[in-house]
Amino acid sequence: MIPFELAEPKSLTEAIKLLAPDDAMVRPIAGGTALMLMMKAGVFHPTRLVSLGKIEKKYSGIAAGKDGLRIGAMTTLSALEQSLDMKKLAPVITRTLRTLSNVRVRNVATVGGALAHADPHMDLPPVLIALGASMSIAGPSGERELAVEDLFTGYYETVLQKNELIAEVRVPSQDGTRAAYMKVTTGSADDWPALGVAVALQSDGNAVKSARVVVSAATSKAMRLPGAEAALAGQRIDDKILARAGEAAANEADFIADVRGSVSYKRELLRVYIGRAVRAALESGAH
Amino acid sequence: MTARTIHFTLNGAPVTADIKPHHNLVELLQTHFGLTGARESCGQGLCGCCTVLVDGRAVSGCLFLAVRIDGTEVVTIEGLDAGGKLNPMQEAFVETGAFQCGYCTPGFILMANQLLDAHPDPDDDQIRHYLSGNLCRCAAYPQIIDAVKLAAKKRKTIAA
Ligand SMILES: Cc1cc2nc3c(=O)[nH]c(=O)nc-3n(C[C@H](O)[C@H](O)[C@H](O)COP(=O)(O)OP(=O)(O)OC[C@H]3O[C@@H](n4cnc5c(N)ncnc54)[C@H](O)[C@@H]3O)c2cc1C
Ligand code: FES
Ligand code: FES
Repeated sequence: MIPFELAEPKSLTEAIKLLAPDDAMVRPIAGGTALMLMMKAGVFHPTRLVSLGKIEKKYSGIAAGKDGLRIGAMTTLSALEQSLDMKKLAPVITRTLRTLSNVRVRNVATVGGALAHADPHMDLPPVLIALGASMSIAGPSGERELAVEDLFTGYYETVLQKNELIAEVRVPSQDGTRAAYMKVTTGSADDWPALGVAVALQSDGNAVKSARVVVSAATSKAMRLPGAEAALAGQRIDDKILARAGEAAANEADFIADVRGSVSYKRELLRVYIGRAVRAALESGAH
Repeated sequence: MTARTIHFTLNGAPVTADIKPHHNLVELLQTHFGLTGARESCGQGLCGCCTVLVDGRAVSGCLFLAVRIDGTEVVTIEGLDAGGKLNPMQEAFVETGAFQCGYCTPGFILMANQLLDAHPDPDDDQIRHYLSGNLCRCAAYPQIIDAVKLAAKKRKTIAA
């Protein structure tokens, strides 16, 4: 890798001051698993990296409260995977993490990095969007709240300003939610997926009151599918309803082709996987 | 860019190194300490040949900035046979023949030790889960799984 300067501030506030609002070559670094790959591949040449490794400890812990869980942005994916609070609140996250990369990467990669990196193939964003998670974003003029579903603007792009940091992720209580995440890997089992689908349902047995449905990997960013959600809401689930929801999803998602599949292939995958994910959620039992 | 001095524990001994911010952990171990057990192969976090334990947790040295080990305890494969005696996992790998060329072996052994620290009596599923990020080009996988089970038994005997 080419040389760069490394700053290791002791606080989040100090880190924000070391970032540069107009310079894309100055970036925060958390676990570094994504950034190191980009630097090694020569696609990113920073002049300065601002390490979040030494900021306040409170940003690397998980706290359970009445209204859900607060996860510090520097919490590692391993800590999240092993968190009993997380497993109780939303076992779908625990399950998702088991097939997210490998133990070594999870030991180092952080929740903040897993969101800010904004690679549409990543697993946590669709699940967090389905669960209605939000973030606290810290910048020079204080903190603001942002829903995870409003974070992504495109392929590797977010609404974050260059001098803003994700400070915390909040997953609200999931009383009665049934959720599932499915990823379709077309190469080897641990390859990046051609499609990710996350669903979170409020339901009474087979009768769905409301649904949140999110697609990822097949599209340039993780996004909700309102047409599919509407096709499921207020319905008793059967093959006809699932076919209708799959059809709505296939029509509304904005697919992109890549080495893992063409647009038409991904459209067919989504059409089918909407139904599989809904059934998996219904079978998963309520959170 | 300016070098900085870091202090850490390497295989039990306190050490110091002057390093540049853009060096990774494998480069540090090889160039400053002559330790070649952690080696860079894929360089992308996928294969596990560069596995190092930092504060007891396995990381990919190829994706880990060396400066981050300031103040930590680092263990490499070279640190496992302290006192001249092989660690139970090393013994088990030898006894089951869990390698051919041996290139991947340090990574497998370190990761398998982390597995047994978390799950002293792992089932096949847990073994596969922990080792899914370690690749063996010689495909010694069946023997590796046998080795992990044998090491679990050995550790229990030692603990008893
Ligand atoms: C071998 C390998 C396999 C992988 N497999 C998977 C997989 O199966 N599924 C999957 O989902 N992911 C996978 N990943 C990607 C992995 O999840 C990301 O690399 C990781 O989550 C990034 O987190 P990090 O802390 O290392 O981020 P870093 O590399 O430190 O940073 C990533 C980006 O986020 C920014 N950033 C970091 N923290 C913050 C913050 N708090 N606020 C604002 N910006 C921030 C950085 O500036 C940078 O742009 C894999 C990665 C590797 C190396
Ligand atoms: S060389 Fe680091 S994981 Fe392959
Ligand atoms: S023994 Fe040769 S790569 Fe594993």
